[in-house]
This record gives sequence, structure tokens and C-alpha cells, in this order.
Amino acid sequence: MTHDFTKAHHLPKRRGGQDQADPYDLPRQRRGKTPQMHGRYPDYDVLEQAGAWDEPTRAVVLARVDDVPEREFFTAAEAATLGAFCDDLLAQHSEPRIPVLAFVDAKHAAGKTEGYRYADMPPDAETWRLVARGLDEAAGGEAGAYADIDSDGRERILDAFSSGDLEGGVWAELDVSRAWSVVTRDALTAFYAHPWAWNEIGFGGPAYPRGYARLGIGMSEAWEGEEAIHPDPVPDVKRKGLE
Amino acid sequence: MKDLLKGSVLPRDNDSARLLHPTRRDIPGRDRMRRFAHDDEVDMLVIGCGAGGGVLAQRLARAGWRVCVLERGPFWDPEADWVSDEAGSAHIYWNDVRIVGGKDPVQMGKNNSGHGVGGSMVHYAGYTPRFHPSDFETQTRDGVGTDWPITYRDLREHYARVERELPVAGQDWPWGDPHSYPHSPHPVCGAAERAWHGAIQHGIEMRVGPVGIANGVFGNRPHCIYRGFCLQGCKVNAKASPLVTHVPDALEHGAEIRADCMVVRIEADASGKATGVTYIHDGKECFQRAAAIAVCGYSIESPRLLLHSSGPGFPNGIGNAGDQVGRYLMVQGAPQVAGRFPELLRMYKAPPPEVSSEQFYETDPSRDFARGFSIQTISPLPIGWAEHVLADGHRGAALREYMRDYNHWAVLGALSELLPQPENRVTLAGETDQFGMPLVRFDYTQCENDRRNIAFAKQTLHDIWESAGAQDVLTIDRYAHLVGGCRMGTSPDNSVVGADHRVWGTDNVFVADGSVMPTQGSANPALTIMVLASRLAELLGRKQLGATHKGAYARAVR
Ligand SMILES: Cc1cc2nc3c(=O)[nH]c(=O)nc-3n(C[C@H](O)[C@H](O)[C@H](O)COP(=O)(O)OP(=O)(O)OC[C@H]3O[C@@H](n4cnc5c(N)ncnc54)[C@H](O)[C@@H]3O)c2cc1C
Ligand code: SF4
Repeated sequence: MTHDFTKAHHLPKRRGGQDQADPYDLPRQRRGKTPQMHGRYPDYDVLEQAGAWDEPTRAVVLARVDDVPEREFFTAAEAATLGAFCDDLLAQHSEPRIPVLAFVDAKHAAGKTEGYRYADMPPDAETWRLVARGLDEAAGGEAGAYADIDSDGRERILDAFSSGDLEGGVWAELDVSRAWSVVTRDALTAFYAHPWAWNEIGFGGPAYPRGYARLGIGMSEAWEGEEAIHPDPVPDVKRKGLE
Repeated sequence: MKDLLKGSVLPRDNDSARLLHPTRRDIPGRDRMRRFAHDDEVDMLVIGCGAGGGVLAQRLARAGWRVCVLERGPFWDPEADWVSDEAGSAHIYWNDVRIVGGKDPVQMGKNNSGHGVGGSMVHYAGYTPRFHPSDFETQTRDGVGTDWPITYRDLREHYARVERELPVAGQDWPWGDPHSYPHSPHPVCGAAERAWHGAIQHGIEMRVGPVGIANGVFGNRPHCIYRGFCLQGCKVNAKASPLVTHVPDALEHGAEIRADCMVVRIEADASGKATGVTYIHDGKECFQRAAAIAVCGYSIESPRLLLHSSGPGFPNGIGNAGDQVGRYLMVQGAPQVAGRFPELLRMYKAPPPEVSSEQFYETDPSRDFARGFSIQTISPLPIGWAEHVLADGHRGAALREYMRDYNHWAVLGALSELLPQPENRVTLAGETDQFGMPLVRFDYTQCENDRRNIAFAKQTLHDIWESAGAQDVLTIDRYAHLVGGCRMGTSPDNSVVGADHRVWGTDNVFVADGSVMPTQGSANPALTIMVLASRLAELLGRKQLGATHKGAYARAVR
């Protein structure tokens, strides 16, 4: 397969299955970091732009990279289960990983709420704990069990969770679809708030006070990343004069 | 002549744009702000400094009223308090828990309301369309919803006036009551160009705008820098919110805006005369005297406050003798469909609101539902995009793949007019919050007309992308905007306030925010909320209220 992203054959719906997307034939990230070090913009590191950001924004964004919060809210066993769950949800199966659960933990340790709660649901923080228990039950075991079963087993549980099909135990009490929406919202927020994820997807990141000038189709600012065009990094590197 | 002056005309009765500092972003006049004593009876006490409250305060202050605004959130300084970052902006939303129920519960939080000086317009997208004349008489025309006790003509002059104050930029508008805008349309980004092209292919007319974002010289308001973070608060001060469009002028004319004050009760005697409000500041309970009170707390908080303000004359809450407070709350159905294209579109650039269409706004007998919807471009940032991808059923490696493809996508959204229903309502829940106030519960269930409208709108968005040659599409169902709950009507049996915004059964309590709307059309509501407040200020100034309590109105013309 070549990387011609003007076509869409790499997209999951066009490939006829959820699991086939394979990022490992993308070039390795050559500048900065991405989660698992693959991405579409191998020579783009949004953090190199930090000097162009305003001070309050810089502080908030750099803290995500430099000050990963310590575990405070979840127990060690809950963290094992939920950490594995977040890795599966976001396909983070190798280092470097964005420490998703650490940010979720910090949010709930600080008692932050989302402004609403479904009438038939407990507070979000409590939902996270129940989900940990429910995943372990579905894995057929003790606290932390979910993290210990094989990836096929976890995939089956995740599939059932996402389609609202978990039953019994915790799940008899908890609306499965709503629990899915509560935990995925927090996890996706933590992941895509992180500048490594912005490198992977080619997002420009903070843009004040500089702003954008080149808005049209196919246009980029001078500092914005270029999309990888070939699976073999050699011609890519040559073309960009990076040798 | 008008074209020559485009971009330079300042409004006559509002100096906010000139009062702003040319380079600093914080709001001038705070240090010199007037302060009223607690036992000083202010002419008008405004609860909430959002779209409705901000405009009302500015208008009345200018007319010489002694105005005090109590706002639950902070007095924002855009430079210091806001960031150019999605997750880092959670603090600008109303995050206190609201309980949501019904068959189709509505998510609140970041997709709903804000707090602080500027209200929800701090993080609104910036679309500022007018309502159509038909919106004010849907019962007569289409046999659904209800008629307003006022018509489009009552608001027309105020629309033009507020559009000049924001100022609104956009192409000449062909729908509803055709009109033009004070500022010319903004340039559009690649993603919006794609959408526009697709619409034309599909036989749908779209226009650039209307957005409340300065495009050209406008006093000291800076020009937009196309950075795309409108929903996170505009650090530039280019996007309109009362913080920059009305608060500077209000302060200049002697209004006090007291931030970080949560009003918990309106105090009224048994005869229907309110005497002031009780509020919490820094954990302490205070009472502010007032001759008249305007409730402008948003469609959830305004009914909540009225319901909670029960007393001898009002056993079930102020204005609730006919069990109307909190009912007929409305949201718009807001499905979004994304289309995939060969080129890099980088939808994070430029304001998310860019191009829109009101071609489907009115009832069309060939469709199987009454009323209609509008179509607008929306451009989610990465976290919003991730929610979109997940909602289409992707996780793990597939989610990451669609996310990596972010820069190839463009997103269109619809706003479907959902109908007002009595059981879609706000009530008080058993639990209490940190202020000792009962939590609010909001139940929402769609009716058949609603479901058909949303399904048709979604199909139309799909068709547009197909005509545009999209290589793939992803869909998410959501809601947007929330109005109603203290609706305006003709009697206490069908409404909470009359055409003059006065709460039935009271002398001097008014509601002036989105909650007074009896129907919602498929336009974004903020402009019309401001326009209603502008009209109310005019009525108060002219004393056309037939009020039995004269104090405030007498003082106004002193
Ligand atoms: C993501 C998003 C995008 C949007 N985009 C658009 C758009 O493009 N165009 C559009 O027209 N609209 C948009 N809206 C909606 C729009 O922002 C609101 O409809 C509008 O601001 C509501 O005005 P309001 O006066 O009713 O309330 P608000 O503007 O919310 O003002 C209410 C104020 O009252 C304060 N308050 C509440 N209760 C109390 C109390 N008890 N004591 C003291 N203060 C109190 C609140 O803190 C708040 O500041 C958007 C909303 C969201 C969430
Ligand atoms: S795009 Fe323009 S209006 Fe929106 S936040 Fe940026 S500068 Fe403000």
C-alpha cells in the first residue's frame, strides 16, 4: 500500500472492518513525539511552536507534557483495569503512551463535574469506579482481572460495552450505554487534549496571538506539518531535504 | 453611500467598541465602577449578565436608570482567563450539575450554557441569524407550536440596531425578512468552501454568515485572526459577546456589575411586589434592595430561580399560579454529518460558523412534518471531532485512523426546529447544591414531528456531501441551544410573562432572556434574545407597561 491520502481506501469504513486499520506502515515520527511514534505528519512537532503561544495557553498545554498528575482518585486495582481499558479504547498498545488515565484521575480527584448527570446515573466519578468493577466482572475475576486476560477477551468485552450489551452484576444496576458515554468522553478528552496527539493528526494547536492566514483548500501556514506521502521514509526524507 | 462606509459605522447609542482599549484585552471601567450599597434601592436589578441581561443593563443605564447586575460567574479578563485550547476551557461553562431525564435527555455542560460576565455568548459559536416572521405565528400558519403575543414587526428595528452593535458580518440575506448586514462577509476556509460547493451541486443556496464578528475597522474592536477557537472564548475580542459589546458602555453609564454573586431567591411580598434579592457571595448571604428585578439567568436557571422563590403570595414559586414556570423548554435537533475529501482542508482554521442556508426553514407541504431546519458549517476541534467519530461507532485503531484523517474532513450541521411541549420542563430535584438551592431537573422527550424533522435534515446533509463527491461520511446526533421555560403569552394559564416581559401576578419582576421564547424557529437564538431585551428596555423607558408599581419608571424619567 502506498500513502496516497488523496484517496480514502485507508479509512475503516472503506476497508470493510473495524480492526484492519494499520498505522504501523506509516513512517515513524521523525520530529517530536506522537503516541506510539507513528503519525501522518512525521516532520511536524506542534511543541516547537510553543514560543508563538500566549502565556496562559502555553502554561496549560505544556503542563500536560511536563507535569503528569500522580494517581490520587483510583485505587491501584481500579487503575490497572481502567488503564488497560483506556489503552484498548484508544489503541495505545506500546510506548510512548499518552497517560490518559492520569488525567481522568486528576479530574475526579479535583471533584470536577460536567454540568449534568443522567437522572438514572450516579455521579461521573462513581460511574468510573463501577465501570472498573463491571469490566473485572465481565473478565470473570477479581479486581484488576480485566488487565490480565488476553487481548481477544478484552476486545469482546469492549465490543459488548460499546454496543450496550453487558449484563449481570454491576451492569444490572448501571445503564451500559450511558456509562460508555461517560467514560469515553473523559478518555477521549484526555487523549486529544495532548500535544502528542496533535502531532499525529496534524492539528495546528493554539493560535493566539498569531492566528491563521492561509485558509483555502490545500493551503498551509509555513510552520504547519506536511502530510506523509510514502510508506518508505527514504523518498519522503529526500523530497523534504532532510538528509 | 452605505457601501463606502461599510465596516466603519459605529452604533449611535452604544460606545462599547470605542471604550475598549486599543491593545489591552481586559474590559475598561471596572476599576472606576459604581458600587451600590445593599440598602440602596436600585432602579433595576438584573440577574445574570448574558445575552439578555447584558443588553438590558446597557440600555437602562444609558437611559439614566440606576442599574445593578448580579452575575454568578467571574468578571472575565480575556487575556488572562481564557486559553487557546479546547480542554483548558472547561472553566468557562456552567459546570454545576443539572439532572437530565426524559426519553431523549439533553447533555448540558460544554454544549450548553456558560457563566460569568458575557454569559453563554462567551463560548457561543457566533452565528447571529434573525428569526423569520413566520416564527411568531406557527400556530396560525402551520397548526403547531403557538403564536407569540408580539410579531416580527415589533422587533424589526431592534434587529437592525443590535446587528450594528455586534457588528454582524455576512452577505445580503435572502430568507425570512430579506435584509443586509453592516459588515461584509468574512473569507471562508477550505472546509466551508467544500460545503458550499456541495450545496450548490445539490441545488441548495448558501450564504456566508451571518456572524457577530467584526470584519474591518470597528472602534477599538480587533479584527478576527481566524484562529478557530470561538467556542473557547475569543481572546482577541473580535467575536461579539455582551462582555465587549454592551458591558463597557453600561459601566460608562454608571451600571454596577457585581460578579461572583449567585442569586438564590427573589424576595416579594404577598401583593406581588418584589423588594430585592438574596444572593451568595464568597459563602456569605446578602440582600440587595431593588425597585424592579429582571431575571436573565438562561432557560434553566431563570425558571429554577422563580420556582425556588416561593413565599406567602406565591406558594409554588413566582409567576407559577398557572403551573407554567419551567414548561415548554425547547432545544434544537442538531445532527452533524462530516464529509471526507482528497485535499487538506484543516477545518480548525477560521471561525467554525461560516456559511449557512435557511432554504428549508419554513413548512413545506411535500415533507411529512411541520416547520423546518437550517444548515450551517461547524468545524469541531480535535476533541469535538473525536466525539463525532466515536458516535459513528468507531473505537480503538479505527478511531485513531479517522482521527489521523482529521485534516481531510468538513462538517455540516443542521438546526431542526423542535416543537414546544408542556412536559419538556424544568423542575426542582430533591438534592441541593453548594448554595443550598435545589438542583434542577430537566426532562426532555421528542415528539413525532421532531423525529421526522431531524431525520429529514440528516438525510439532506448526507445528500449535500454526496453531491460534493465526499469519499466517506460520519454522522453524530446531538442537540443545540435551549430556550423557553418562562414563555411569553397572553394569560397566566398559558405563559409566565406577558408581551411586556412582566411576570404574571407581580408588579415589578421581569424575565428578559432566552426563556421567554414561545417557539424557537431554526435560527440560533442569541441575536433574538438580545433584541427582545432591547425592546423591553424601550418599553420600560417609555413606561408603556401599565405597571402598578411606579417607583422605577418614575425615576427613569427624572
Ligand atoms: C457551544 C455553544 C454554541 C452556541 N452557538 C450559538 C450561536 O452560534 N449562535 C447563537 O445565537 N447562539 C449560540 N449558542 C446559544 C447562546 O449562547 C445562548 O442561547 C444565549 O447566550 C442565551 O442567552 P441568555 O441571556 O438566555 O443566557 P446566558 O447568556 O447564558 O446568560 C445567563 C447568565 O446568567 C447568569 N446566572 C444564571 N443564574 C444566575 C443566578 N441565579 N444568579 C446570578 N447569575 C446567574 C449566568 O452565569 C449567565 O452568565 C451557543 C451555545 C453553546 C453552548
Ligand atoms: S476565529 Fe476570530 S472570532 Fe473566532 S475566536 Fe478566533 S479571532 Fe475570535
